[in-house]
Amino acid sequence: MDHALVRSEGVSEILTASESRGRDASWERFESLYRSSRDDVYAYVSTLLRDPAAAEDVTALAFERAYRRRRTFDRRRGEERAWLFGIARNAALDELRRRRRVATLVTDPEDVVEVSEGDGAEVALRRTAVQNALAKLPAREREIVALKFHAGMSNAELARVLGVSESNAGTLVYRTMEKLRKACNATA
Amino acid sequence: MPQLDHDPIDPEVAATLDAIDATLAGEPVDARFADIAEIALLLAADRPEIPPAFAHSLDQNVERRFATLGTPEKRPKRRRSWSGFWGVAGALGAGVAAIVAIALVAGGGGGASSESSSSAASSAASSSGAGSAGSSASGSHAAAAPAPRTEKHTAASTNGGVFAPTQTSAANGGQPLQPPTTGRKVVQGAQLNLGAAPSRIDDVAQEIYDVIGQANGIVENSSVTQGGPAGYANFQLSVPSGSLGQTMTQLSSLGYAQVISRTDSSQDITDQYGAATRALADARALRTSLLKHLAAATTTEQIDSLKAQINDAEASISSDQATVNRLNHQVNYSEVYVTVQARTAPAPISHGGGGFTVGKAAHDAGRVLTVAAGVALIALAAITPVALVVALLWWVGSALKRRRREQALDSA
Repeated sequence: MDHALVRSEGVSEILTASESRGRDASWERFESLYRSSRDDVYAYVSTLLRDPAAAEDVTALAFERAYRRRRTFDRRRGEERAWLFGIARNAALDELRRRRRVATLVTDPEDVVEVSEGDGAEVALRRTAVQNALAKLPAREREIVALKFHAGMSNAELARVLGVSESNAGTLVYRTMEKLRKACNATA
Repeated sequence: MPQLDHDPIDPEVAATLDAIDATLAGEPVDARFADIAEIALLLAADRPEIPPAFAHSLDQNVERRFATLGTPEKRPKRRRSWSGFWGVAGALGAGVAAIVAIALVAGGGGGASSESSSSAASSAASSSGAGSAGSSASGSHAAAAPAPRTEKHTAASTNGGVFAPTQTSAANGGQPLQPPTTGRKVVQGAQLNLGAAPSRIDDVAQEIYDVIGQANGIVENSSVTQGGPAGYANFQLSVPSGSLGQTMTQLSSLGYAQVISRTDSSQDITDQYGAATRALADARALRTSLLKHLAAATTTEQIDSLKAQINDAEASISSDQATVNRLNHQVNYSEVYVTVQARTAPAPISHGGGGFTVGKAAHDAGRVLTVAAGVALIALAAITPVALVVALLWWVGSALKRRRREQALDSA
């Protein structure tokens, strides 16, 4: 699968209306960042929270926070994308904390396997197995999957978001994948 | 997120990660990574897609730059709570600093206002001529200079005279006190302490010389030292008692000096003067009597004895006459001691009015800057501990928040 296909698209035309406003460099950077990261941030947050409604709120909150803080961004401390995902991560963790405080029953969405016409039964089974294995992962490892495969981050970006070294981030990805592989093979 | 070790990555792990990245990039991978590659592709394909309605709403929010964001209520509330915390902390610190600064400045300001009121009575006027620096002069009547004030006080006390030193404030320094002298022998004196700018010591000295010259007084002794910030001058003057009041008025209103203090004194020596004149009369009477006896003397022994007594009487007459002359001089001429001290206090206000001058403006500006710097320093000293406490609270709060977030992830 071409990973470039999963990147955000169709956002630029929405933002052209704002070009008439007085622009500043920070706004242009934020606009570009939003255009390239909107879908990735949602995918990451949605996988982490397993709640589409909460994922929408947290995604909106993350971009709002990033917009408010856009002038405080320091390039020497990392790339903007990692900075944005750091904000999204904090917002998602705050949402997890809020859930725990209010003791709201949050149910995981039911696993719905959409088998396209071209997919064979074997592929559908493998997809179901991966989804089930992913659902059973702890949140910390599910976050690794979300950042790596749903947000499309490199190991270096992933390391900056999590605050670990790049080698440690790679090790985390490896362990998570091994766990998934074993779970899938056990299911098979 | 616990930090792992920083050892170099294992070759097998590195190969697996390369295979994953290659898979995501659409490149072929080794067959031994087929399982991993398949899982990677399935995970990537299972990426949650953003709902179109939400995407449209979010785009509009971004377009409006979140001006009317319809996001959950807790978010702005939380932001307001944090901004409120910093606002309260900042206001608290600024308030404490302001209170301390105002208290300290107000406490120190009392002296400044006192000094100001004192200098308000100062006077200045334009003056011509300049005196000589470091000069020393002795008056022609130096031999007749009275004994030091302390000895005189003692003598006055012994003789039962009246000594009435009077401290005169600078505010009414223009009009000296005048003790009643009708029919009495009164010795008057004054001591004047002046302040002047270090560069004006010579000018003040010249003004004093001019005043004494106009009053037909005598400069018994003077010493003027000028140079550097510690100029100093003192004068021992004899002024005709009849013009003492006018002289003191003029000395108290010199152009380049201001009165720091002034002391007027008087001593009634009527009894002492009467005793001296009586002694003189007695000595003269004795001499006259001895001269008569001498005229009637017949023997050499009588003549020699009378001559010796006459010599003693004449010596007594001379001594008593000198005493009377000295007392007369003390009564007729009043002693005035003037000291001039260099002061860095504000320049005296001109008699010509409170007009604007560059010097006054520079002085005021310097004083304002000094006070402002002092207030800033005090405020900084008051704010620093508050800022440290706030920073510590912020650091602890951040650490706790970070920890709770990680705990929330672990327990999810």
